[in-house]
Amino acid sequence: MKAIFAIGLLILISFLGARFFFKRKKTFLPLSYFFFSGLVYVFLGLVLGEKGLNVLSPEVLQGLNPLISLGLGWIGFLFGFQLEFKYIRKFPQKYVGLSFFQSFFLIILVSLSLFVLLRFLFPSQPVFLLYGTAVALGLFISLNSPSLLNYASPLIPVKGDYYHLARFLVSVSGFWGVIGMALVSSFWHFPFFEDKVLLKGLFFLLASSLFPLFIGYLFHFLTIRKTSEKDLLVYLLGLVFFTSGVAAYFNLPSLFVCMVLGMTYSNLTRIQEKIYPLLLSTEKPFYIIFLILIGALWDFSVDYKIAVLVALLFVMKILGSTLPMRFFGRILRFSFPLPSLFGFCFLSSGGIAIAFIVSWKLIYHLPLTDVFVSVALVTTVVSELLSPWFLKRAILRLDTEK
Amino acid sequence: MNIIVLVVIFLLMLFLRSTLLAPFVNPGFSPTVAVGFILIFAFLVGKKITRLNLPQITGFILAGIFCGPYVMKFLSAGDVVSLQLLDGLALSLIALTAGGEMRLAQLKRDSRAITSILLCQTVIIIAGFVAFGFLGRPIFPFFSETTLAQGFALSLMLGTLATATSPSTTIAVITESNAKGKYTDLILSTAVVKDFLVICLFAFTLSVARAMTFPGQDFDALFLVSILVEVGISVLLGAGIGGGIILYLKFINRETGIFILGVAFFTYQISHSLGYHPLLICLVAGFLVENFSSRGDSLIQAIEKVSVPVYVVFFAISGASLDLDALSRTWVLALVFVVLRAALKFSGTYLGAKLANEEKGVQKQSWKGFISQAGVALGMAVIIEETFPEWGGEFKALVLAIIAINQIIGPVLLQRLLVKVNEAGKKLNGRRPQ
Repeated sequence: MKAIFAIGLLILISFLGARFFFKRKKTFLPLSYFFFSGLVYVFLGLVLGEKGLNVLSPEVLQGLNPLISLGLGWIGFLFGFQLEFKYIRKFPQKYVGLSFFQSFFLIILVSLSLFVLLRFLFPSQPVFLLYGTAVALGLFISLNSPSLLNYASPLIPVKGDYYHLARFLVSVSGFWGVIGMALVSSFWHFPFFEDKVLLKGLFFLLASSLFPLFIGYLFHFLTIRKTSEKDLLVYLLGLVFFTSGVAAYFNLPSLFVCMVLGMTYSNLTRIQEKIYPLLLSTEKPFYIIFLILIGALWDFSVDYKIAVLVALLFVMKILGSTLPMRFFGRILRFSFPLPSLFGFCFLSSGGIAIAFIVSWKLIYHLPLTDVFVSVALVTTVVSELLSPWFLKRAILRLDTEK
Repeated sequence: MNIIVLVVIFLLMLFLRSTLLAPFVNPGFSPTVAVGFILIFAFLVGKKITRLNLPQITGFILAGIFCGPYVMKFLSAGDVVSLQLLDGLALSLIALTAGGEMRLAQLKRDSRAITSILLCQTVIIIAGFVAFGFLGRPIFPFFSETTLAQGFALSLMLGTLATATSPSTTIAVITESNAKGKYTDLILSTAVVKDFLVICLFAFTLSVARAMTFPGQDFDALFLVSILVEVGISVLLGAGIGGGIILYLKFINRETGIFILGVAFFTYQISHSLGYHPLLICLVAGFLVENFSSRGDSLIQAIEKVSVPVYVVFFAISGASLDLDALSRTWVLALVFVVLRAALKFSGTYLGAKLANEEKGVQKQSWKGFISQAGVALGMAVIIEETFPEWGGEFKALVLAIIAINQIIGPVLLQRLLVKVNEAGKKLNGRRPQ
């Protein structure tokens, strides 16, 4: 009964939230974007969760598993659906290259440095757990979301090369982090393999890639003839539910599996214009449900270890995003210089990062999972608070000066 | 193309549920896989079955039975229970639609026929079942094992349950058939009004049965009064929610699909937990929006946008929940009762329509619209099982078997009727013209 009540409550809050919170007046002030990003719902989730009123108790959250899985799948599908090759090919290849190098550099930098720090902070934990957590934080920090740039777009008077490059990068950078998650969850599959790790990991990686590819083709076959909007909604919901459910059933990331489904379908179908309204109308309510759920799942305990990890992670994100920019610009031979300042455009994490945290929490029931959730959530809050200020410093100057 | 996808997705599910993969699975997500699968599978079966001139919802129900815990076991009993969370949402949407489809003018026009059919059906069915209970005592072991008073109580209960018609199934078939016309209006209105008459009647007959079965227990008039109070408060709550929906549609009118979903879910859960009647609340709310504002169309359109997936899962799960074990144990007696019920429905409807001076076609044909049976009857069977533990379990098994048969043949009969009387496909753009 409580689970049903909780679903009703979530639907109403998410609806009201989507209706009112995302329509505030836009400015570069930190709190303005913070409210727009909806992160305040994490704290609402915390209040409703086990540590607060216990409306969303662990048992209720268990009952909400199908909804969480569908939400992850939906966000993954939407993200993958936007990765249409026809559209991506319009951009120079060096843009894709920059996106890859930027993410790769951040993942390596953060994973290595945090591994050292984690060993120091949690000496009693097994090394393989520390390394897994460090990689998870590396993957998490590499994720960007286009929502800050979308939000700030009306506030940017001159939209030149930097703006368009930044838009491209924030739109596709999540791809690499999610791919990384698929690799980790296949080869570091939970429950952990006792033997033939490589072989079994490869099997899971192939399964998590080929299964959604196959379902994507089925989806295309179903909609190849003229399909009514009602039928389309059933196919879309059913296949995303099914795919994300199967992924969760095998402890694979629904986010990645449904991203592949979205990519496959997007590149096969010709009815994108019918799908987008269906996806976009539900995106914000799903996102808010996620924020509340992750708040409720959060085993809130901010101690000095978390604070140190958050501080280092955020500093690493700034350094990793800014320092190598000039170097990448040179080796990829960009026609315009890429100053370090340009890296300030990529500090916001957004919805895909929240989905990543939920996904990780669902897959890995490990002692350090709650540490990961706390660090990632607090970092997200910090970055969403400060990123508008950094973005303003960068984007308003770069295109104007150019 | 759909048939290929249907087969492929079935084989895929067969593979996923195979023992080969069992060591790698996280059973906590089994309902998630089940809901995705059943949504696609049942929907495609529903689409295919229309080629046999059968309603889609029969396809959804059959797909549910096939995939459920008694046949393919794609949906375990646990999955079915956890997916019944969707019941409340679906029932509320159905009740909102029913209220939104009922017009005051049309109710006034048909009030004589509705009252007459309701009274005749109720009296004839209950009397028929009581008579059968006495006459059939020597033949059927189930009856012969009871005392005379218990037998009477049993027949009275069966008669009350037999009176019920499923408004959800009726609305689903009418919506799917895009039906419009005299028969449609009469059947829908009667089914909806009857649902609440049956709730009150059940409270009365349960009290009578208790007084007869348990010596020293008097007829509980207070029980009946409490039911009437619940109904009254439910009507008031429905009026409040209806007013809220009107205000929302008038002043905001955005993202109505999500709004309606939220209202339906919340209304069901809160009213259900407080002991009120969510169906009546939603029905009154829908009725109010349709008849006391100009927003009826917006409401129905908003519901129709989001309702199809909910209905597919709802009817598929109701198929999966049909107790085939009970059916296999009591199918002979159940079949006898199904035939008896149909015969009594025909007699009651015929007499009621004749007394109301309805045309010959209505007198002879409209009984087909009252055969389907689901939620309310099921809920009553559970209450009876709890109230009369001595024979309640066996009684519930019998009722479940009767519901299983009626729920399969009911939608087919209704759809055939709507086609026969030329009312199917008469709705324009999904709405009946004013």
